[in-house]
Amino acid sequence: MTTEYEIRELCERFFDAYENKRADILDELYSDDCIVWHNVFGKDTTREDNLAAMRVDKGQRRRTYNDRVINVFHDGFVIQYSLNGVMHDGHVGPALWICIVGKVRAGKITRIDEYMDSSKFPAWSGRDRK
Amino acid sequence: MRKDSETLALCDRFFDAIEKGDYETLESCYAPEAVVWHSHDCLYESRASNLAMLKHGMETLPKMRFRDRRVRVFEGGFVQQHTMHVTRENGFEGTMDVCFVGYVRDGMISRAYEYFDTGQVEKFLGPR
Repeated sequence: MTTEYEIRELCERFFDAYENKRADILDELYSDDCIVWHNVFGKDTTREDNLAAMRVDKGQRRRTYNDRVINVFHDGFVIQYSLNGVMHDGHVGPALWICIVGKVRAGKITRIDEYMDSSKFPAWSGRDRK
Repeated sequence: MRKDSETLALCDRFFDAIEKGDYETLESCYAPEAVVWHSHDCLYESRASNLAMLKHGMETLPKMRFRDRRVRVFEGGFVQQHTMHVTRENGFEGTMDVCFVGYVRDGMISRAYEYFDTGQVEKFLGPR
């Protein structure tokens, strides 16, 4: 049994790891059978897919996960936050506002469902200027 | 003090009311100060405007369904993930994956946040 306090801490560690590009920490936070689902793609991906994707340069110098509002329930959390990015060319676009529902078992994240608006990607990355 | 069963019942009542076209029940789920935020414009919509939009949908769309509802309750609110199915007049059934976070005061929704992908709007609106 993971307490709600521990789940909240786990959620913060998860986002800190993302912010600091620490795939090794994410690796520890995911359960072996962890599934990551994105509304933008509409399909389940494995923890390996997710960790591999994190190691790929997505064109940003820095990504920060801000305005975190976390609510916790008995087997997981929901976090609403804004994702700010600075691109390699210095471009800073409007933040992406994202919501994630995470499921937790025995202190590990077993599922991530991510909801974002892909129509905002071009402005965020600066592709709309090119 | 958490009252999870009451919050769950409120969540069900809210989405069931939209499905059934029961405007009176729908309206009773919103607190007087209710506002609804959407991820496509990041703006808070007023209670009156949101209710008018929902009422219009309930009166004009042949069918609205919230399928695969997954609800979790937390202190002060709930989160529901669902796939919205909308049957349009031309028979097209549009779908949209939605995450709805509702904050609750005195048994009513006082603030809600709705996240969805407008990049997939064709799937929802159909051929135009």
